[in-house]
Amino acid sequence: MSDQSTNAMVELIKVSKTYRPNIRALEDVSISIRSGEMVFITGRSGAGKTTFLKLLCKMELPTKGLVEIDGLDIRKMQGKRLSLLRQQIGVAYQDFKLLTDRTVAENISIAMEVSYLKQQIVRKRVRALLEELDLSDKHSSMTGDLSRGEQQRVALARAVANSPKLILVDEPTGNLDATSTGLVMDMLAALNNSGATILIATHDHTIYRDVDHRLLELRSGQMHQLRDGVMQ
Amino acid sequence: MSFIFAVLRQVFRNFRQTWVSQLMTMLTVSLSVFIFAFFYLVYNNMLSIGDKLGYDLRLIVYLEEEPIPELQEQLRRKILAFDEVEDIHFVSKAEAFERFKVQLGEDQDVLEDMPEDFLPPSIEVVPLKNLRSLNQVKLFSEYLSKLPGTIKVQYGQDWIERFYYFTRLVSIIVVLSAGLLILTSVFMVSYKIRLTIIGRKAELELLKLVGATNSYIRTPFLIEGILHGLLGSTLGLTSLLGLFYWIKMKFSGPGILNIFEFSFFQPPAIVMIAIVSILLCLTGSYTSMRKYLRA
Ligand SMILES: Nc1ncnc2c1ncn2[C@@H]1O[C@H](COP(=O)(O)OP(=O)(O)OP(=O)(O)O)[C@@H](O)[C@H]1O
Ligand SMILES: [Mg+2]
Repeated sequence: MSDQSTNAMVELIKVSKTYRPNIRALEDVSISIRSGEMVFITGRSGAGKTTFLKLLCKMELPTKGLVEIDGLDIRKMQGKRLSLLRQQIGVAYQDFKLLTDRTVAENISIAMEVSYLKQQIVRKRVRALLEELDLSDKHSSMTGDLSRGEQQRVALARAVANSPKLILVDEPTGNLDATSTGLVMDMLAALNNSGATILIATHDHTIYRDVDHRLLELRSGQMHQLRDGVMQ
Repeated sequence: MSFIFAVLRQVFRNFRQTWVSQLMTMLTVSLSVFIFAFFYLVYNNMLSIGDKLGYDLRLIVYLEEEPIPELQEQLRRKILAFDEVEDIHFVSKAEAFERFKVQLGEDQDVLEDMPEDFLPPSIEVVPLKNLRSLNQVKLFSEYLSKLPGTIKVQYGQDWIERFYYFTRLVSIIVVLSAGLLILTSVFMVSYKIRLTIIGRKAELELLKLVGATNSYIRTPFLIEGILHGLLGSTLGLTSLLGLFYWIKMKFSGPGILNIFEFSFFQPPAIVMIAIVSILLCLTGSYTSMRKYLRA
């Protein structure tokens, strides 16, 4: 593990991503995110926010440039090393990627089961997360039957379940009312306070308006810093 | 420990979701094990019957006149030129007469007026006690009858020959059913697992994304393959054992089948069949899994 205050958790140097046939999603993005930081990334639809997050967990490979997570070149991560890295990166996907024919509890458990946590611990953690996100009564519901807003929170619960050191959240509040949004942001703030590095891609200015974290904007594939953050 | 637990949980969960098709796969495997083992058992028993028959098999080459030692050596070389044999024994006129006398026992006085050399000399050739030499006993006798100075060649009855034709036929069936076993186990299991992979694509993709190692994803499928092989061969062999005892009971008492003692596989053969089935099913699931994980 790297030294929290000095080392970068995320390091991108001159990263470009071009999708076939010729869609430039990211262009020459260079950015360094320190371990323990919380960063908001905004930008219009299609600006490349999701692409940016996908590069960090090797769901996509950069067309050009260097992507490093915690000092490790993502290109060189393969097989078991990649798996272990992914166990430490929690991702709440914009499209959720939930298993609709499994219960809420099962969906959240998956992230912990792959690192062989004891069932006892898994069950306890699932209950705590559901409690925190006001979903306790959905514990055994089929995930496909939930509302969009509920599914969104389940996706977030799964992302943070395994206590990852890097949390990537793509549009976490799109379907949520103000109260639920508050719950979600409180949870992320608490995780950040206990050391997790958190990147949040969002359109929702209400969630970054009143906090003093770093704010980035993607504009047609290029990264601009709108506001410098204050490390907590 | 927790790895085993996690894997078993997945195996169990998958079985609960797809037990009908799992059962069909297992039954297919056990049917092909049954078919193969059945013919293999028949073949094995025929071999041991063949051993008993072959034990008495000898070719007797009657000669015009008693060969001098030098000629004996030449004939011996000629015989060995065809094939290796267990034994070559020259029987002189005198020896033939002695043997005949012993055979006659109490009636040997009928020989009193006969000259001691009225029986022809001969060579007794005992072929090797293996299937190959028994299979070619006819060719061998033709070869021997062409040796210079031979009157005629005698050997066991026709039906020995037919028996070995039949044995050869059964051995071909054994090979074919072994092929069937291989095809069904490998392809059924790999097909079944490919279907499962397609059915659970979303889940497997997600597992990769949340950092499941390849062995975490693969092991449950491999265990599934092992179980198909183990349960399939157990069921197949158990049914065959049942059939075996049923036939034995049905045909017990005096009868043709009682001339020979039929026996089931020895434990090592049973273990071998089970291990081979398991390996085949494992291969099936491994290939499917490898294809998927590489992609
Ligand atoms: N797999 C893909 N193949 C081709 N083009 C893609 C692919 N994924 C994204 N794109 C394109 O890349 C660009 C950036 O997409 P991206 O999903 O990163 O945007 P976004 O900022 O997340 O948008 P939104 O706010 O709507 O989620 C878009 O023009 C999109 O159409
Ligand atoms: Mg997006």
